[in-house]
Amino acid sequence: MSVFQAMLLGVLYYLGNSSIVAGPVGYYTIYRPLIGGFLTGLVLGDPVTGVMVGATINLMYIGFISAGGALPGDMCLAGILGAALAITGGLDTEAALAIAVPIGLIGTLLWFGRLTLDSFFAHLADKYVEKGESGKIWIASVLLPQSMLFVMTAIPCFLAAYFGAGYIQGAINALGGTVLGVLIIIGGMMPALGIGLTLLYIFKGEARIFFFVGFLLAVYFNLSMIAVGFLALCSAVVYTQLRNAKGGEANA
Amino acid sequence: MPDMIHKENKKANEGSYILLTDKEVKRSWINWLFNNQANYNYERMMGTGFLHSMVPIAKKLYKDDIEKQRDMLKRHTGFFNCEPCLGSAIAGLTVAMEEQKAAGGEIDGEAVTSIKTGLMGPLSGIGDSIIQGVIVPLLLAFAIDMASGGSVVAPIVYSLVMIAVVFGISYTLFMTGYKKGSGAILNILENGIVNKIIAGANIMGCMVLGALVANYVSMSCGIQIQQTADSVFNVQEQLFDTIIPKLLPLLLTLGSYKLLKKGWSSVKVLLFIVIIGVIGGVTGILG
Repeated sequence: MSVFQAMLLGVLYYLGNSSIVAGPVGYYTIYRPLIGGFLTGLVLGDPVTGVMVGATINLMYIGFISAGGALPGDMCLAGILGAALAITGGLDTEAALAIAVPIGLIGTLLWFGRLTLDSFFAHLADKYVEKGESGKIWIASVLLPQSMLFVMTAIPCFLAAYFGAGYIQGAINALGGTVLGVLIIIGGMMPALGIGLTLLYIFKGEARIFFFVGFLLAVYFNLSMIAVGFLALCSAVVYTQLRNAKGGEANA
Repeated sequence: MPDMIHKENKKANEGSYILLTDKEVKRSWINWLFNNQANYNYERMMGTGFLHSMVPIAKKLYKDDIEKQRDMLKRHTGFFNCEPCLGSAIAGLTVAMEEQKAAGGEIDGEAVTSIKTGLMGPLSGIGDSIIQGVIVPLLLAFAIDMASGGSVVAPIVYSLVMIAVVFGISYTLFMTGYKKGSGAILNILENGIVNKIIAGANIMGCMVLGALVANYVSMSCGIQIQQTADSVFNVQEQLFDTIIPKLLPLLLTLGSYKLLKKGWSSVKVLLFIVIIGVIGGVTGILG
């Protein structure tokens, strides 16, 4: 990996965390490992591997819900560095996932630091309001916090991408086959947590049985996700109609 | 709180574009859309972003009166936190209320603040469960399915759809909040349609997640039992695969869900999975 490529990955990580390019859309796109992995692949000249690794890492975070500023992990950093490791180090997808997730946990430190330090700029905004300098509020709202965010995100990601890839590859080679085997097993299990997190929000009441319906359709009929998606849409419509019909009788 | 809002609603509902033009209203929406989390912080969360979205409005409404401009902006320096797409409706509504206040309407500053904070919770609840709980996981599930075969189109299509969804919802709700007032937002909240959409979305989400478990969680038993000298009983292939092939991934997912529901943090569940993986991998129980 060249210095320039590592710098681009640093900028990519900043963009995933920033609101400047795409506003809240960035959080739903660049921040996701599927897209982050793809863009990392573009930077490193192997978009196909980037997409495949990014997709697998993203599974882990598919149920990622940020409510009230609490994060279960920094999937943006996990996606970028995971894809970079897989491409430059030739790691298996599952092994890249198992390494990417702890990286994501370290990444949450940046998030806590950012949310704590940003409070300072909120007070700066108060000062501008107090002085009647409404034209300067953008400095406290965007310029300073985003400059700080750039320093906090781009530099660590650049360093990790540039120095980390070779180091981790060497460490895994030195540890040998068992470690890699265990990493692959763990990587295969991890999406269960991502799915479990989403279930917290939607596995409720009468909808629960449909979780098992979807599972059985995929296990016994080998249906693709898209096929299950369309069946799910039809089931949801039929179910709602039946429920309304029943409600109507009860009222009459 | 709803009663309060209903009472204020009468005042907040009378027309729009009295003093403002389309230019400031759109500017305010853009400021909200792009900057709501630019200075996300523990003390006020999206407070600074909300303040930023009110700047073009204050400048237009109180063009020559720095004093009044300051009073208006001061109201919006406080805490604000909402799901950003649905929170857009609150920003639009606040613009309408501030405009009527400036035009001499009987709205006091406290009413603006209380409507704003009263709507933040319910709208976040709906927004988080529909957007982050269903729309994003569903679209990602389809995109990941395409992408794991190496399709570079998948992330591009997913991003385009997501951009359309976020911009569409955010703009529509901002303008609904601005033009139709708090009544329209309360109608949305109290209308049965939202509940029907949530119920339907939950069903879709559950079914797709079930299929995801089968396709993407992998866990298999590596135990082989020596039956006779030359026949081996492979637990995974000859027991699980013949009855329910993906039973272990299903149990692992439901187990993670139960632990999370019991109040375990996601990091704790993650460590739990790592421990099972290490023990299972080293002993050969998992393989």
